[in-house]
Amino acid sequence: MKEIIERVKRISGAEVSVRRENLIFVDVSRDKLISMLYDMKLEGFNQLSIMSAVDRLEDNEFEIFYVLYNYREKINAVVRSRIERENAEIETAEKIYPPAHTYERELTEMFGIKVLGNSESGKPFILENWKDKPPMRKDFDSVRYVNSHYEFRHSAEEETEGKNE
Amino acid sequence: MDKMTEEQYRAISNMLRKRSLWMLHYCTGCGAMELPPTMTSRYDMERFGIVPYVTPRQADILLVTGYVNTKTLRRIVTVYEQMLDPKYVIGFGSCPINGGVYWDSYSVIKQLDKYIPVDLYIAGCMPRPEAIITAFRHLMDLVDKGKADGYRRYKENLDYYKKNQRKVLG
Repeated sequence: MKEIIERVKRISGAEVSVRRENLIFVDVSRDKLISMLYDMKLEGFNQLSIMSAVDRLEDNEFEIFYVLYNYREKINAVVRSRIERENAEIETAEKIYPPAHTYERELTEMFGIKVLGNSESGKPFILENWKDKPPMRKDFDSVRYVNSHYEFRHSAEEETEGKNE
Repeated sequence: MDKMTEEQYRAISNMLRKRSLWMLHYCTGCGAMELPPTMTSRYDMERFGIVPYVTPRQADILLVTGYVNTKTLRRIVTVYEQMLDPKYVIGFGSCPINGGVYWDSYSVIKQLDKYIPVDLYIAGCMPRPEAIITAFRHLMDLVDKGKADGYRRYKENLDYYKKNQRKVLG
């Protein structure tokens, strides 16, 4: 096993599970998330590949994950944390990883998770004039939204049937 | 020599018009993939006088390739209104017709012709370059007969189109 994994295991609050030789998962509690990312950066995980969230509707929680990469050791690390689904809030990671700024804006818009410390969180980003529930939440009913906002094209047969009735 | 009637004038201008259609392709989805072989030497659409062009102000055809979501629809309407008359719209692939595989997506519009007038649809996912060439030939026939009158319909039914646009774009 690589030495870097041993070093990550020694960071306080980290529950490390090794998926492959070059992929580890680091579970961390919500209040240790930012300090964990800071420690990971000190260990050489310089790149934030992506950050996003998974809606765990059955547990009533959001799972926030950060995919990091270490160029020197050639290893991926996924830092995961669970937060409450109601009034979801996280702290910003843009001081540690500047690209997180844009990912957090997307997170706010698509999941409705508020990001504290990000100056542009909540500013309109991709969706324009969106008034409904954030669309990436699992309880957003896409088919209902589509039926109420758009009209479907009917085939010629369906149209003649409608006229006969 | 007798004075030319308006009908004759229109017939001649339509005949000339159909031989130099300049095309603006608005590549929203995967449809742009089929255009390079259509433009280049394998299928060579320039033999029909159809040239890809870069600005809406000089183009005649607006080719909407692939799905259109609400964000791109706003740009498409702007581009369409910038184009000068006469202008023709071709919906490309099954997504502008009825949403295609994105029928249950929250942001993809289902019928392009509710928002801008479409002269011609090319069905298929994806249409082959042969289908595109056939559609262009068909559009040339329509232009020759004066039946490609989408730009006139847009002016006459402006309230209808604007009402539909406002409904999705807010």
